[in-house]
Amino acid sequence: MAKHFEEHGHHVIPTRTLAINLAWLMALMVLTIVAARVTHFLDTMPANVVAMSIAIFKAYLVVAIFMGVKYTTNLAKLFAIGGFVWFLLLFGILIDYFSRPWEPVKGWEPLPSTSLPRTPGVDE
Amino acid sequence: MAEHAAHHHEPGEDVVFGQYETIEQQRESYIVGMWTFLVTEVMFFGGLFLVYTLYRWKYAEVWHGMSLHLNFWLGGVNTAVLLLSSFSVAWAVQRAQVGDTKNQIRLLWFTVACACTFLVIKFFEYQEKIVHGLYPDWAYQGLPDVEFGPSRLFMSLYFAMTGLHGVHVLVGIIVITTLIFMTKAKAPSISDYIPTEMVALYWHFVDLVWIFLYPLFYLIPA
Repeated sequence: MAKHFEEHGHHVIPTRTLAINLAWLMALMVLTIVAARVTHFLDTMPANVVAMSIAIFKAYLVVAIFMGVKYTTNLAKLFAIGGFVWFLLLFGILIDYFSRPWEPVKGWEPLPSTSLPRTPGVDE
Repeated sequence: MAEHAAHHHEPGEDVVFGQYETIEQQRESYIVGMWTFLVTEVMFFGGLFLVYTLYRWKYAEVWHGMSLHLNFWLGGVNTAVLLLSSFSVAWAVQRAQVGDTKNQIRLLWFTVACACTFLVIKFFEYQEKIVHGLYPDWAYQGLPDVEFGPSRLFMSLYFAMTGLHGVHVLVGIIVITTLIFMTKAKAPSISDYIPTEMVALYWHFVDLVWIFLYPLFYLIPA
């Protein structure tokens, strides 16, 4: 890889690194299409895991290389990572939906307890 | 503030504004500020992703069926277009860092062209949905082979999430074009590569959202 050089606290990313990153992203995009629509050898759960793993890896490549988080200062890294940590915490809300049926509260709901939103006219 | 400092600086010389000790501190402040804004953007989209997760979980089969009604080839082309634009804007930042303004502006124009291509393709996709009566929410007319309610939810979220993303693409076009003209006009507030870096961070974020939207809407497994 070409030598990176630092000057006045900024990092110049070589064109080669940027181009390799683009090639990776394009290859992963093709892979995600092939896995989901061209071949059908994956079951539902593995297919979901593969699709999301590829998306997360692509996101990492964009954030680390294109957005330069890999080369930035620790403070900037903290803010960049903070956003994604918050995103994971948000999904922690799903624990509530998951766990409600584990311990139904008597008299709270007239209907059988469910972890999911109800469809008007169907679940009532 | 910008005018005050930039009035007496030689080309290629770093301009440190009054409130900063060093150029490093100044640059870090701008980048951290931009990331703070992007965190609010993550929150903005985060709620929609949460709603999406909940309903896809509940209506997995209908949503897979609806996913097949979306044109994943067009979505794929749009993914490639955005990835390419992310690359070009990152390259533009690199050109700005070494003071190659000519190529920086060329790459920024290329990024704008990619953004416009994305919106044109998206327009044809939306048009195809509208022609088939797949309007969002209350106007949704349904499909003969799928359950009405859950498929309406799918189309509503499809329009809400890709629409919000589309608005971000539009804002990106405006912001990048503004940056190009300010750079050309040698505006005093553009004393180094940092404005380009900040605009690029925003543009990468737009790409980032699409990286998740594409598999979540177009490629739902059976």
